Amino acid sequence: MSDSCSPDAGATASDTSLCHGLPADAKLSLTLLVVVVSGLIPLEHWPAQGLLLVAVFMALSLAGVTVRYLARRLALFLPALFVFGLSIPVASAEGLAWNWTLSLWLRCTVSFLAGLWLIHVLPLRELLSVLRRWHCPVVLIAMIGFMYRYVFILWDELRRLRSARDARDFGGASTWREWTISAQLIGLLLLRAMERAERTHRAMLARGWDGSIRSLDDDR
Amino acid sequence: MHIRDGILGPEVCVAAAVVSACAVAYSLRRLRVDLEDRAVPLTGMMAAIVFAAQMVNFPLLGLPVSGHLLGGVLAAVMLGPWAGCLAISLVLIVQAVLFSDGGLLSLGANVFNMGVVGAWGGHAVYAALRRCLGTSVTATVSSAAVAAWLSVLAAAALFCFEFGLSSHSSGFDPSGVFTLMVVYHALIGIGEALITGAVLAFVLSRRADLIPAPTPLPAVRAVGQFGTAGLVAALAVAALLAPFKSELPDGLDAVSQQLGFASLETERPPLLLDDYAIPLPVEAWWSVSLAGMLGTAIVFVGAVLLARAVRWNTTPLTLADNTDV
Amino acid sequence: MTEPAILELRCLSFRYPNGRLALRDISCRVASRERVAVVGPSGAGKSTLLMHCNGLLPSPPVQQDGEAQVFVNGIAVTKPHLRETRRQVGFLFQDPDDQLFCPTVRDDVAFGPLNLGLDQHEVLARVERGLASVGMSGFTARNPAELSTGERKRVCLAGVFACEPSVLVLDEPTSNLDPRARRQLLTILRAFAGTLLVATHDLDFVIDLCDRVLVLDDGQVQADGPTERILSDPLIMDRHGLEVPWRLRGR
Repeated sequence: MSDSCSPDAGATASDTSLCHGLPADAKLSLTLLVVVVSGLIPLEHWPAQGLLLVAVFMALSLAGVTVRYLARRLALFLPALFVFGLSIPVASAEGLAWNWTLSLWLRCTVSFLAGLWLIHVLPLRELLSVLRRWHCPVVLIAMIGFMYRYVFILWDELRRLRSARDARDFGGASTWREWTISAQLIGLLLLRAMERAERTHRAMLARGWDGSIRSLDDDR
Repeated sequence: MHIRDGILGPEVCVAAAVVSACAVAYSLRRLRVDLEDRAVPLTGMMAAIVFAAQMVNFPLLGLPVSGHLLGGVLAAVMLGPWAGCLAISLVLIVQAVLFSDGGLLSLGANVFNMGVVGAWGGHAVYAALRRCLGTSVTATVSSAAVAAWLSVLAAAALFCFEFGLSSHSSGFDPSGVFTLMVVYHALIGIGEALITGAVLAFVLSRRADLIPAPTPLPAVRAVGQFGTAGLVAALAVAALLAPFKSELPDGLDAVSQQLGFASLETERPPLLLDDYAIPLPVEAWWSVSLAGMLGTAIVFVGAVLLARAVRWNTTPLTLADNTDV
Repeated sequence: MTEPAILELRCLSFRYPNGRLALRDISCRVASRERVAVVGPSGAGKSTLLMHCNGLLPSPPVQQDGEAQVFVNGIAVTKPHLRETRRQVGFLFQDPDDQLFCPTVRDDVAFGPLNLGLDQHEVLARVERGLASVGMSGFTARNPAELSTGERKRVCLAGVFACEPSVLVLDEPTSNLDPRARRQLLTILRAFAGTLLVATHDLDFVIDLCDRVLVLDDGQVQADGPTERILSDPLIMDRHGLEVPWRLRGR
């Protein structure tokens, strides 16, 4: 198994560019706007969709996203979309379906690239403050923060468990064995993480946690 | 499994988002009653577990692609339907906004298909089955496996429905997509059932106390639970039926011929009963739904056998010592 | 003893839900500003003992006749008083990743003061003071995941200090720390004016920090006395799976 252990994390606080300087609300609204507009552009207006694609590309280069990064993400994204879109004209032998598929590919790519721009310019801290301003329930925001904090720790743990497994596994595992080992890996991760959740809960109680969330008002 | 932006129409996405937001809000309310001050750490950690577990790839028999756990039923079995739904929603939110995995606009649809149907519906199926089967390890594991399979197919059915709504104005037949989705999700569903069952069997062998037994319910809620379970099962059967509503030749066969996916054809597991249609002298509709039920039964028997076969008494990987010293 | 005890255990016994008896009949008094180490082999019940001081274990430490067993400043550590006793007792956990659960250092240090119900201005002031006292002032906006183990430990400590406890309870404070981080921690703890209760395997750390040692084994207090006397007694040390530290040998 040659799986990667963590997906590409998005923005870090240290990045700086024209796009990074925008207010966080504007970043999120702008991306949503592009996605909605792209979804609303009718089939026959594909040149407009193309213009949108160019605009998103320009935004990406302004934000300092490298071509290599884009190519890597697109290489993972496009094949599934390709197969999905192709199943329409293959099943319904009408000429219209081909047009539809092409515009679907274009539309999905525009939205995907807009999403890449967003993750590149919006770090978690800004996202949480936007959600707070947009009146997202505070419990949900606390859970998002909590999850983001621990998901990296769990990835590290998974990596350690996997190398421990690889050190004892001398290759040539059958598919069935790979499945049972991977399931066991997840089970072990689950047990450890639940135990960690119990400990964290205790640590929260020790600092006066009673289930209600209080947070600092300002977002400096 | 994640629906990307651009596949569904904006109006469908917005409608799904409204429904999902209500479901998430309701889950939050119920959760604070059920878990009290443990709600944030337990749900947040479960979301992190599901996200991390999705990084473990499972090779699909003979195919060059691999699948991974979705985790809705697993989370719901461990923490109940409310926390399960929230955990999956959190995973989807973070994946969409911070990792560009899934879509922003289609977030609502994803939360509905995987979080609401996966965790609420999956849990209803699991709890209803367990109520009938008892509390043995075998019953728990096989109930969860069946729930996992049904929830994945139900999600596929919903996707087809949403896709049909989005594209019905464009004047063509989306049956090709339906066939592709159903076959793909029947496969993914088997994987999901196997992984969920195996992981739960492992957890039960080490810390059985982490998996709560279903509590006795007041009659109204029990009826609601069975109703939800029935709805999920019906959706799953509908998914199996969807491709056969059209008179067109099997879209998958056409796709595989065109693309030369010979392996897809030969490696199709026997579960998918050749083209779903059992040659019986009854109406085609019935034979197909019979095939669906038979498929469910096979998954169920497989799950029971799996639960009996997998006994985690060996300890190749050591668990860190408990800190309750 | 005429001095009022800030921390008192009266015949404390505890059995885990799985049936294991972790603590048996432990009694001890800790005076204000005393620095006490709890040493003993793994599994002796050290962590269990510490967690009782903060009421962190599921069943409340109450005897059959309903009498409380742990007292902080004369207040029983039982459910109705947990808020008050937890305000007085700060707890530093072994793994800093268990304790730091917020996305930024500032949020984490502010967590305790916010739960005390303080106003925003006071909370921010305490965050500043807490981070300054552990030498981490410039780290407010950082993600705990980016910090080293020693830095994370100090941020945890800042979070505890921000609640301004009078008793500090530490579980294995030096585990996984490199020598420099260990020395920094020692300096910070020496500057702390309140009472200390430390469970550790690091006996050199005990010699440098504490003036009294409790030897815990098999859920019971086996010895209690001044640091140098206990730690240099080969009989006690060997019997309970410990070793006389090099610095105290040959005296």
